[in-house]
Amino acid sequence: MGKGMEHKAGAVMILGGGIAGIQAALDLTGLGYFVYLVEKEAVVGGVMAQLDKTFPTNDCSL
Amino acid sequence: MSEQFSPKILGFLCNWCCYAAADAAGVSRYQYPPNLRTIRVMCTGRVDPAFIFRGFIEGADGIFTGG
Amino acid sequence: MEAGRSPNIKMLTNADFLGLEGKPGDFTAKLRLRPRYIDADNCTACGLCTQYCPRHHVDKYNEGLAMTRPIHIDYAQAVPATYYIDPGSCLYLQHETCQICVPVCQSHAIDFSQQPEELDLKVGAVILSPGFGKIGEKTLEQFGYNKHPDVVTSIEFERMTTASGPFQGEIKCFSDGRHPKRIAFIQCVGSRDLGCDNGYCSSVCCMYSIKEALVAKEHDPSVEITIYYMDIRTQGKEFDKARQRAENMGIKFVRAKVADVTPWKNNLRLTYSTLEARHSFAEFDLVVLSVGLESPKDAQGIAKIAGIELNRYDFCKTETFSPLTTSREGVIVAGAFQGPKDIPESVTQASAAAGLAAGLLTKQRGQGVVHKSYPEEQEMGDEVRIGVFVCHCGINIGAVVNVPQVEQSTADMEGVVYHTDSLYSCSQDAQEVLKQKIKEHNLNRVVIAACSPRTHEPLFQETLKDAGLNRNLIEMVNIRDQCSWVHATEPDAATDKSKDLVRMAVAKVRGMKSLPEQTVPVTPKALVIGGGIAGMTAALSLSDQGFESLLMEKGKALGGNLGLLNTTLAGDESADYLKGLVDRVRKSKLIHVVTEAELASLSGFIGNFSSVVASGSGAKKKEITFDHGVVVLATGGREHRPDLYLLGKNNKVVTQQELELQLAKTKKAPESVVMIQCAGSRGDDLSYCSKVCCNHAVKNALKIKELNPDAQVVVLYRDMRTYGFAEDAYREARLGGVVFIPYDVARKPEVYEKGKKLHVRFFDTILQEELDLAPDQVVLSVGIVPEGTQELSKLLKAPLTDEKFFLEAHVKLRPVELSVDGVYVCGLAHGPKPLDETIAQAQAAAAKAAIPLVKGAVSVAPIVSVVDQESCIGCGLCASLCPYQAIEMVKVDNKRKAQTIAASCKACGICASHCPSFSIAMGSFTNEQINAQIAAFGGVREKEKAEVA
Repeated sequence: MGKGMEHKAGAVMILGGGIAGIQAALDLTGLGYFVYLVEKEAVVGGVMAQLDKTFPTNDCSL
Repeated sequence: MSEQFSPKILGFLCNWCCYAAADAAGVSRYQYPPNLRTIRVMCTGRVDPAFIFRGFIEGADGIFTGG
Repeated sequence: MEAGRSPNIKMLTNADFLGLEGKPGDFTAKLRLRPRYIDADNCTACGLCTQYCPRHHVDKYNEGLAMTRPIHIDYAQAVPATYYIDPGSCLYLQHETCQICVPVCQSHAIDFSQQPEELDLKVGAVILSPGFGKIGEKTLEQFGYNKHPDVVTSIEFERMTTASGPFQGEIKCFSDGRHPKRIAFIQCVGSRDLGCDNGYCSSVCCMYSIKEALVAKEHDPSVEITIYYMDIRTQGKEFDKARQRAENMGIKFVRAKVADVTPWKNNLRLTYSTLEARHSFAEFDLVVLSVGLESPKDAQGIAKIAGIELNRYDFCKTETFSPLTTSREGVIVAGAFQGPKDIPESVTQASAAAGLAAGLLTKQRGQGVVHKSYPEEQEMGDEVRIGVFVCHCGINIGAVVNVPQVEQSTADMEGVVYHTDSLYSCSQDAQEVLKQKIKEHNLNRVVIAACSPRTHEPLFQETLKDAGLNRNLIEMVNIRDQCSWVHATEPDAATDKSKDLVRMAVAKVRGMKSLPEQTVPVTPKALVIGGGIAGMTAALSLSDQGFESLLMEKGKALGGNLGLLNTTLAGDESADYLKGLVDRVRKSKLIHVVTEAELASLSGFIGNFSSVVASGSGAKKKEITFDHGVVVLATGGREHRPDLYLLGKNNKVVTQQELELQLAKTKKAPESVVMIQCAGSRGDDLSYCSKVCCNHAVKNALKIKELNPDAQVVVLYRDMRTYGFAEDAYREARLGGVVFIPYDVARKPEVYEKGKKLHVRFFDTILQEELDLAPDQVVLSVGIVPEGTQELSKLLKAPLTDEKFFLEAHVKLRPVELSVDGVYVCGLAHGPKPLDETIAQAQAAAAKAAIPLVKGAVSVAPIVSVVDQESCIGCGLCASLCPYQAIEMVKVDNKRKAQTIAASCKACGICASHCPSFSIAMGSFTNEQINAQIAAFGGVREKEKAEVA
């Protein structure tokens, strides 16, 4: 396969699509930057997506 | 009585919690009786008591607000 | 999750990180994308392929507790919402047979010809957030894991308790499916354990164990739960309260080390030894291992490729004063890879990392982002022309609801000029059809009967905008999630319900109007309140991003509490750092420092605040008015001075802060010291844990031992909360001869004077006897209280916690924002925390505050409230009820009238439902519209009813 090349001025790469990666990505777009969110698994979400409720308020985590 | 009573229920669902929960119930394929007809609002704070009276006037047997 | 929709986030899943060359501002990252074998553009996530796939596959998402198929999606809300094929178990990819899924897929999305692709990305900065790894099975096997089916990990237990999990939330033993009556949690599995080379504390396990125990107790109140622990580390904000709740609900906490878990008849037997070295046994049905957080599995690989250094535990190496900076410039770290941490800490670091990356790339800001443009909005005309589109969603709706019947039922409804059905209304081609039909039939209102507006309304609104219609002219009817899926066995009733819901929606859209898109301009400046480390860091971070701020400090000098510290636990010289920080603040052209400052007034709302800052005193007193778009609260806190243990009465009783200064000044250590932890905290004057005192005590104890190795140091504590990597210092102190003795809250130590001597009497829980010592000094760990939050809370109408710290908008997901828009919080004003967390939080607050400043305008969802000032009677009820302070009372022609502050309104509608003169309209949820919906619900001749409404 051919080698792809992407160029967006001032883009940021985020390695890891868990809660930290997703939050950083959303904030960076808010701050005016293009983001590549790179995740080794087939879906983003990380461990937090496996949790049902969160401490200490037992809110839903999804 | 040959026919079972099947109430007509009108529901006001908060977009952020109860409506979301009703969606989640669907995603998990929970089965519940099909008597409910819903109106989505952005918050149950929007529900004027007049809406509830009007619902009864229109023939609702019960009114549900979820938020 | 919003990230899936942003045009400025490109998700690259199934991606391997291969290389990183270049320098900040000009990196080239090399990636390899493994194929999904499913075309994301065509996949509609209908799930048919999974039903037909003949192979079984262990479900990793459910921790192996369930089976799925090689072709699957982890969970219904997954992003991207595209199925994928696991090549490891797919029959075609392994053995070139099967391919049943290919013809099954109605949207022809399956493509086995996909190959791995390599990709180079040009990026200016890199954020590493790979998360954490799992504790090795060998460590778990010490506690019977893999040997007995009823020993499970906490994350397996979490999936078990989840209502949407593999057991629908039923908790049962794997051995025979019975419901456990006695459950044990074993803490610190794979943490605080040099045996598996994890000397650190994982910082989250105590919290999740309590949560899981509470959830299990809710499921079955009769279940007996015991948590075996060394220290319960619930040091976070409001966390001790949850622990208290757990104790009140009957969950038992036993301070003991578990030696072994062995089978015992049908059950499990736990062997444990308590503090006083007594061995005991207990029988349980189910044992949950509270597993710690390990460094990510590929940490070394990532470090090598990214060119960064790791610490001794293979987490990313960082410093106290630059908690997110790696050893390579331009590479920033966030989340658990920086050290074990919980969700709010991770979210905070993520925002901070975004801000740091933005600070590196200010010149390129806005250049790479995509701005979409839309055609001009069409005039609607007076005639109501409704189009109804009913979706089959493949077989999701179509197999239950009679879609053609529903569609036909709209034919004679008033105003409906077009109606049709479609297989997938959300698909790309259906969107084109929608646009085309709007033009062709001159539609000015649209009803889509399909799935949930919560997930799909934004998509259809985009399409409307593309078609030149106002985006509010659409109403979605949820006949999938809330109809076909939940009435799968009653197709007739489901069809009737769909017809009713569609009729109600048609009634509603008749009254829909175009709503203007509102934006409010933003003054691109910030007011930072508090000149301690949090405030200075926030102001500098904003200045790095190119934004002006006014930094106000009530004292004479900048520095706050940092000026009172000498070194950090990691051994950094804080004075040097502070001096450097103050210099940078003073030199920055974008930061205006005002000392001896007081906030005389503050008014306005996000984007448009105006403050009056008074400074100086006497003849030099002056006031300045400052207009700003955002506020950062960094008002800090101070040491609490409890009237306990003779503090302030005997000069040999000092606080940890005083001891630190004394040690630094005299360079001499006392011969004997007794430290008392939680003096006044966790139940006495302060209900909460101050998070930093245990570290402070360990730091000072080590300093004493360094100055005087023979000194006797005894630390009396309740739980040593040296979480994270601070555990290493705690271990070092113990090895260095510092004596740590836990005390029971029912038997607190006593400090008294006898002649000239100071005495401490306490019950030694290890020796099980009462001891009396006469140390040179008694040092109290006293905790932290917030300063000045109450006044600011009133001024800003921002809520506080019971303990008078600012209450964040959402404790997990919006940890630095307040519920009042445009106001952010960091440092001790938010809650007690150590330096590194304060710095990260200040950077996060600055990043969040910069978002509206970058945008230059706050956009307002058009569904906000609008007051009809003609009929408003000026009673002010709405203004008093609004939970967001979004209504103000103004004078119009000398009459009191209510007015919405659109930028603050959240569209909840409380004002509208309480208005006695019906003068408040909610966009898209007007009284007329809701009444029309109710009338349509009644189903009586609608026209008549509409007239009544």
